[in-house]
Amino acid sequence: MVDCPRGQAMTPLKQSLELSLSLCRTCGLAVSRESLKVDRRCPRCQSRIELRTPFSTEMTLAWLIAGIAFYIPANLLPVMHTSGMLGEEDSTILGGILEFWRSGDWDIALLIFIASVAVPFTKFIAIGLLLLTVRKNSRWQPHQRTALYRIVEFIGYWSMLDVIVVALTAALMQFEVLGAAEPRAGIAFFCAVVVVTMLSAQSFDPRLIWDRRA
Amino acid sequence: MNTILICRDCDTVYRAIPMRRGDVALCRRCDAVLARYFGANVESGLALICAAAIFFAIANLTPILSIDIAGIETKANIWFAVRSLQHGWISVAALGLAFTTFVVPAVQIALLFWVLLFARVGHRPPGFGPIMRLLHRMRPWSMTEVFLLGALVAIVKLANWVPIKAGAGIWAIAALTIVLALLGRCDPESWWSIAPAVKP
Repeated sequence: MVDCPRGQAMTPLKQSLELSLSLCRTCGLAVSRESLKVDRRCPRCQSRIELRTPFSTEMTLAWLIAGIAFYIPANLLPVMHTSGMLGEEDSTILGGILEFWRSGDWDIALLIFIASVAVPFTKFIAIGLLLLTVRKNSRWQPHQRTALYRIVEFIGYWSMLDVIVVALTAALMQFEVLGAAEPRAGIAFFCAVVVVTMLSAQSFDPRLIWDRRA
Repeated sequence: MNTILICRDCDTVYRAIPMRRGDVALCRRCDAVLARYFGANVESGLALICAAAIFFAIANLTPILSIDIAGIETKANIWFAVRSLQHGWISVAALGLAFTTFVVPAVQIALLFWVLLFARVGHRPPGFGPIMRLLHRMRPWSMTEVFLLGALVAIVKLANWVPIKAGAGIWAIAALTIVLALLGRCDPESWWSIAPAVKP
């Protein structure tokens, strides 16, 4: 019996490969590999069990490239069009951040910058790094790389923030005199970046980081 | 409770021991969460899911934000936000928003209610396996909390220009976020532990 952090005791055994066990990633059941030879499905929840996610690095890379491709129009194209007393105006995400910054709302500017610019960019770098090190069978810092993977999974969906802000603004600003707001193409690309990078992170199998250590 | 736990992130196998309230089991090799103490019984699960359904209904029936200028009022909630993105081919973003802030939370609430209702009377509901698989797959796509933050940012953004007010819906969204988080801690993996006691 060995004490784990946070007061929880567990008996550490071996890697699942040595014990001929396999994890059902859907319901968490440990399934013996012998039974998988007969039926590839989990006896409890009927999900297909794979020792490693099939084509994990290929799918992760494909979604990552799609994400980077969408990221460019998402930032270059306007996300919103406003019209009213002050004239017509197209605004981009970066333009919106600068506007908040200039008007003194630095905290909101920072929040949108983190959610819309920094988070997707960090995800590209992080997923790229994970892919590269896994492809090279790297033994470098597996613990830190697993932590990086968890961060990427956790921060993923917060980038949807700007899509929601634009949608709410367009729903509320429907005044003929004072102003009206309409969504523009950039926001669709931005939504695509969020979805595609989430799919990229979900395609990555973190067990690959630890595989060639033994 | 599974007697053998396998780490999702690094494949290390553990023999589980009983946990007490508040316990979290971490993988010794990679620090992933192996298991949490699962205290929710069927009754408290049902209570939470009913609360979630009520908050979800309030959030969708009352305005989350509203602007009133000289008698002309505009309102916004999840559906208004989705509809405002319907603009030519940009509507794909409307689909994405509708899916993550309306469809996924609604289906999660409905399916968990279905499962728990049957568990309450000691039965495994029809379609239990597919339902649990669906719940597992939908988990990362529920974005209620992001919507809440988006509404708060929209308030700050527009408050400089127009008299913007938060409606009852924003409190409902906040409460829904908390209830879904409580239910989310008891993820589908844990809900399986209800099933074995139930006749197949």
